[in-house]
Amino acid sequence: MKTLILGAAAAALLHITPTVTLMERSEVVSRLLEGADRFTAREIHLSSADERRLHDAAGWTPPDDVLTFYIGKRADRVEGVLVFMRVDSPHGPMEVAVGFDKAGAIRGVEVTKATVETKPWILEALRAGLTDHYRGLAVDAGPGAAGALKGKVGTMAEYMAELADRGVAHAGAAYRLFYR
Amino acid sequence: MLYDLRRSDAQVRWLVTLLLGTLGVAYVFGAWMVGMYAGFTSRSVAATYVEPATMNMPMPAETTTVVEHDVTPVEMGHEEQHQVDRALLIQDTHVHVPMYGVIATILSIVALGLAIPRWLGFALITLLFAAPWLDFMGMWLTKLASPHFAVVTLIGGWAMGLGYMIVAALAFWQMWRPERGARK
Repeated sequence: MKTLILGAAAAALLHITPTVTLMERSEVVSRLLEGADRFTAREIHLSSADERRLHDAAGWTPPDDVLTFYIGKRADRVEGVLVFMRVDSPHGPMEVAVGFDKAGAIRGVEVTKATVETKPWILEALRAGLTDHYRGLAVDAGPGAAGALKGKVGTMAEYMAELADRGVAHAGAAYRLFYR
Repeated sequence: MLYDLRRSDAQVRWLVTLLLGTLGVAYVFGAWMVGMYAGFTSRSVAATYVEPATMNMPMPAETTTVVEHDVTPVEMGHEEQHQVDRALLIQDTHVHVPMYGVIATILSIVALGLAIPRWLGFALITLLFAAPWLDFMGMWLTKLASPHFAVVTLIGGWAMGLGYMIVAALAFWQMWRPERGARK
């Protein structure tokens, strides 16, 4: 009986609620690749050595060892680059879209996916200006939105900001090492 | 047969009505979820259950390779196909098959109380149990044998809905049909 109760408690704790879309990808494209009228997907299939390099730099490797950069162009000139990053947590996955401008700085960040459980915490963090902290950040600068929101939001919203920071850091490392 | 829903106490009929209503709601949301994750076409079901390509992929290459292709904003917005790998299908089968068995049993018990020919009763009970078997058999055959077996899953899913509809329609009609001179 004790095992059953512990099992049920573990199942309840580990249960991940369904994914919800906070922003459609098409809207993300129009916001973060503004001005572009042609788009290219650049898929980078990492070798084991490059996978290790990324892991050493960011403590993370992409699913199936593939990085995808969406490049927005206008008259064959690159306007910006967009990456979607998934960050997993015990409460389910979060997806952030990170847009880079022509100079390689972060143009903007949008949280595109959450779960039913994490959505209110993410919205709280967004209302407190979560994504404003990333604008203009250099790719090698450590994102510190969670630190900036400390004390202004609840602990779970702060935790969501930490996840967003992690997604932005992963995107920055991927861009720095494999796009530029 | 002693058990006849037409002549059963109003409490029993009310219980069966609420039970069928509850199962109906569950089926509607089940269909909605299927639409979201697997779809209702043979192609989308096959894409969901076929062995993920990554399982057959070689280990990371010695050199990094880059592939570029043009995309439209619409293509960028396309969600990745939800895939059920072997581990998840084992878990799904373990969780769903017993529950489907319980639901088929409950619907069969309701069917036993219907005033229908004996052969139809047998057929209905067989349909109620065959539907989930076909559903999961199709998923496993799609994964292990050929994507063409996705159609078996579709047949199973529709058979599940059909079995429920037949039982619910006959039960509602026979339980609540106004009868001339009947006792209230």
